[in-house]
Amino acid sequence: MATHGEIQLEQLTKQFAEVVAVDGIDLHMPPGEFFTMLGPSGCGKTTTLRMIAGFQRPTSGRIVLDGVDVAQVPPHKRNVNTVFQNYALFPHLDVAGNVAFGLKYLRVTKDEQRKKVAEALDLVQLGDLARRKPGQLSGGQQQRVALARALVLRPRVLLLDEPLGALDARLRKGLQVELKTLQAELGITFVFVTHDQEEALTMSDRVAVMNGGRVEQAGSPREVYEEPSTVFVADFLGVSNLLTGEASADGDGCALRVGERTFRAQQGATGERGEVKAMIRPERIGVEAHSASGDNRLPGLVERAVFLGNSFELHVRVVGGEVMKATMPNDGTGIPVEEGTAVTLHLPPEALRILAPSSSLSEDDPRVASTK
Amino acid sequence: MIAWLRNPWGRPRGLAVVTGVYVLWSILPVAIAILFAFNSGRSRTTLQGFSFRWFTSQAGVFHDQALQSALTHTLLLAAISVAVAVPLGVTLALGLQRWRGRGSGTVNTMMLLPLVTPEIVMGVALLLLFLKVFPGLGLGTKAQAIGQVTFTLSYVVVIVRGRLVSIGRDYEEAAADLGAPPHDQLLRVLLPLLAPAIIASAAVVFALSIDDFVVTQYLSGDASTTTISMLLYATARGAPTPALNAIATVALLITLATLALAFFVYKRFAGGGDAAVAAVLEV
Repeated sequence: MATHGEIQLEQLTKQFAEVVAVDGIDLHMPPGEFFTMLGPSGCGKTTTLRMIAGFQRPTSGRIVLDGVDVAQVPPHKRNVNTVFQNYALFPHLDVAGNVAFGLKYLRVTKDEQRKKVAEALDLVQLGDLARRKPGQLSGGQQQRVALARALVLRPRVLLLDEPLGALDARLRKGLQVELKTLQAELGITFVFVTHDQEEALTMSDRVAVMNGGRVEQAGSPREVYEEPSTVFVADFLGVSNLLTGEASADGDGCALRVGERTFRAQQGATGERGEVKAMIRPERIGVEAHSASGDNRLPGLVERAVFLGNSFELHVRVVGGEVMKATMPNDGTGIPVEEGTAVTLHLPPEALRILAPSSSLSEDDPRVASTK
Repeated sequence: MIAWLRNPWGRPRGLAVVTGVYVLWSILPVAIAILFAFNSGRSRTTLQGFSFRWFTSQAGVFHDQALQSALTHTLLLAAISVAVAVPLGVTLALGLQRWRGRGSGTVNTMMLLPLVTPEIVMGVALLLLFLKVFPGLGLGTKAQAIGQVTFTLSYVVVIVRGRLVSIGRDYEEAAADLGAPPHDQLLRVLLPLLAPAIIASAAVVFALSIDDFVVTQYLSGDASTTTISMLLYATARGAPTPALNAIATVALLITLATLALAFFVYKRFAGGGDAAVAAVLEV
């Protein structure tokens, strides 16, 4: 694996006039990995990226790149390059001119320059468009030029600010795979910023989910999806059903009392006591016939049944009045359901996860409302 | 007729009619003035025949010493104004764009003041300035050039700032990201992108300088600092002959040639990028 391109953010903070955009975050971005900062707009992910690039000066904290604090180094002296959201290709230069722009500062000969430009354009499959102006290229082609322009300098870290945001869905899918392949081939650390959870999950080695200027959780895509540690992460990544209840001790897990019923939960912060939130993914809920009985079961009435081809998405109003979402695979083994069918939902203890409170409290945080 | 004007699927004919009438109206006096420059008689109201006598004869403008001198002086002043106002204006525009602190709003508004100040007020004020505050400078070419730069500068700043705002900071950041130090960000990225606006503002300053009468008149010294517009005014008050029209025709041709040149240069370098600047030039 790559030995350089390691970033360590330490208590990084950026305060604008009245807003704290980034609130003392600590993040470790291992060398040669595809690292994604994921979050809603205004969560501080782009500001963090811009501080790593050097366009924003941190209010406090350190940005350690391969052991050296670069927080106070101007952007043109940092060995990191950026692919901008709007690409920012120089309109007065052709494709080759754009790609060659930064080579001037690497002290390479003209011949080498030409060679490197050609290599970089081949890498992104644009060799035959070298003499075009950016205005004559499609969005996808511009994106590749922006990539070539940054990669030709062999940066230790490549920063990507929602680079696929402006492209249509089909192109996005293709480029997602290409970017991931490119990153694996080159072994350069990629730091990717997106608000698209699917993009984050499919491309990344590690994901940091951000909210309100803080990191809610960082880990592999599987960890953040399957083992969300906070309500925000559970809610932001994929679809989750949230239950509010009282937690008490019960063997190796904990007992969650929701209204009249008690469920066993074995995942997450089972040591928490008192009022907690628990989550379960729709695909982990078992949909059984109304007559089924046993622990961790909950009767309800199907309110909507959406046929998705390979599965059904069910909205089930359960006893207590809440609506839970359940996904039932269309594999021929499920019970027949339609609107108005009475069913029993099975919430297996090994799929029911107790969540820790969010590290940051925001106005729309469900816990703020529930404690009022 | 009404249906012909109001057909919503056709071309906007009502607008076309209004536009056409206006264009005719604005060209008419100029066309008549040019026409009489070629009158064979001495009258500026009755057309007697076609001739080049007011251009080429001994009494014509090509042999008129006063006109030669005025033309040279006009072009000299225009060249100085462009050479000083454009670089200074670009610098000011860049400075104002980056200055985000206290007072930047006030300065921005003040930059627009020369655009709305009546020229006569500015002319008188500048005259007082040169007579009372800096008497050592004296009236004449230097004072005229300073006066013209004073009011043309605002146009440069407004045009260049408009372009700067539409360019934004992205390209400079991209250049910095690729390793370009600040002066290279300016030379390799910002100035090429500003080129259309710079060319446009140079053309505007040139045209303003050639056309200016009030400020240039107030700050003039001896006869050698007479410009074409001053000469036109003086001649018109004396005993005008079609020679006056001939001078006006020459002045008009110079202005048109400048704008045409600027337009073609702009088309070549900008590739038709900035509609706003193109509009300024096409006027």
